[in-house]
Amino acid sequence: MGEVIVITSGKGGVGKTTTTANIGIGLSGLGKKVMVIDMDLGLRNLDVVMGLENRIIYNLVDVIEGSCRLKQALIRDSRFPDLCLLPSAQTKDKTSVSPEQMRKLIEEIRDEFDFILLDCPAGIEQGFQNAIAGADRGIVVTTPEVSAIRDADRIIGLLEASGIRQNDLIINRLRIDMVRRGDMMSVEDVTEILAINLLGVIPDDEQVVIATNQGEPVVGEECLAGRAYLDVCRRLTGEEIPVNDYSRPEGFFEKISSLFHRNQGA
Amino acid sequence: MGARSVHVAKERLKNLLTADRMQCAPDAVERLPADLYHTVSKYVEIRPEDFHVEITRTDIHIKYMGEKN
Repeated sequence: MGEVIVITSGKGGVGKTTTTANIGIGLSGLGKKVMVIDMDLGLRNLDVVMGLENRIIYNLVDVIEGSCRLKQALIRDSRFPDLCLLPSAQTKDKTSVSPEQMRKLIEEIRDEFDFILLDCPAGIEQGFQNAIAGADRGIVVTTPEVSAIRDADRIIGLLEASGIRQNDLIINRLRIDMVRRGDMMSVEDVTEILAINLLGVIPDDEQVVIATNQGEPVVGEECLAGRAYLDVCRRLTGEEIPVNDYSRPEGFFEKISSLFHRNQGA
Repeated sequence: MGARSVHVAKERLKNLLTADRMQCAPDAVERLPADLYHTVSKYVEIRPEDFHVEITRTDIHIKYMGEKN
C-alpha cells in the first residue's frame, strides 16, 4: 500500500511545487511508482513546472465530479518512468472538492502506487484541508526566513492537530554564503526552532530556475540542488544518508564529490 | 554587522512563535514567564537565573536548575 505524503508550507512561494515535482520525478527514477496530485485549485502550476502543461485534458475536479475516469485524467510522460500527474483545475475553486471526496479518491488509488504526493496550496483554509485529508504524513517546506518559518510552525501545529504526526522538514533555498557570514539562519537555527525531523536541505541554486524555465526536473542533475533533491528521495525510500547542512568550509563537499566522481570515471 | 541580522531574526521569530503557539498578544508572552516565576517562588526557593520557561507547540516546560551550581 502506497504512502500518501502532503507537501505543504503555509506561506506561498517557498518552493512547494518545485519540491513536489522533483521529489516525484526523483522517486520514479529510483524505480518507485509515483502519483503527484496538484491540489491548488484555480492556480494550477505543477503541470507547468514538470513541462506537461500542453497535455492536460481532464483534471482533479473532473475526476471527483465523475465527468471522466481517473485513468483518462492521468498524464504520463516518457521522460519520467512510473510517474503520473493528476492536474488541478484552472477554472474551479477550492470549494469544488471536499476533504471527504479526497479521502475517498486516495483510498481507491493508493494500492496502485508506492508514493502519492499531494502538492498543497498556500494558506490554511479549505485548500489545505482538502490536501491533508487523505495524507499519512507531511513534508513541510520552508526557507530560512522569519515569515516562512513562522508559517511552517503554524502548519506543523495544524498537521499534528489533524492527526498527522509524522512531519519532516525541507529547508529550501539556503544561501550558503549568507549563512557563513551570519546573515541567514543556518540549518541548525531552523531545526532548533521547528523541532521536527530534517529530511533535507536544498541550497539556493540557479539551476533550479533554469530547469523550471524549461519544464525540466533538476533532481539527479550534477548541481547542488540536483544532488540534494536526489538525497531527499533516497531518504524517503529508506536509505540512511546524512543531511549536508553546508556548514563546512566553502568547496569542501564539491571537492570531495568531484574527487569521487573522477575516481568513478577512471 | 553581519552576525547581527541572524541574531535579530532569531529573536523576532522566537517571540512570534511563542505568541502564535499561545494564541495571545506579544506582551502576554513576556508576562507569562514572570507570573510563573512569581508563583513557583512562593513555594520553592529559586533565583531568576535558574528559572526558564520554554513554550513548544504542545507543552509549556518549566526548567528549574535547582542547586546544581
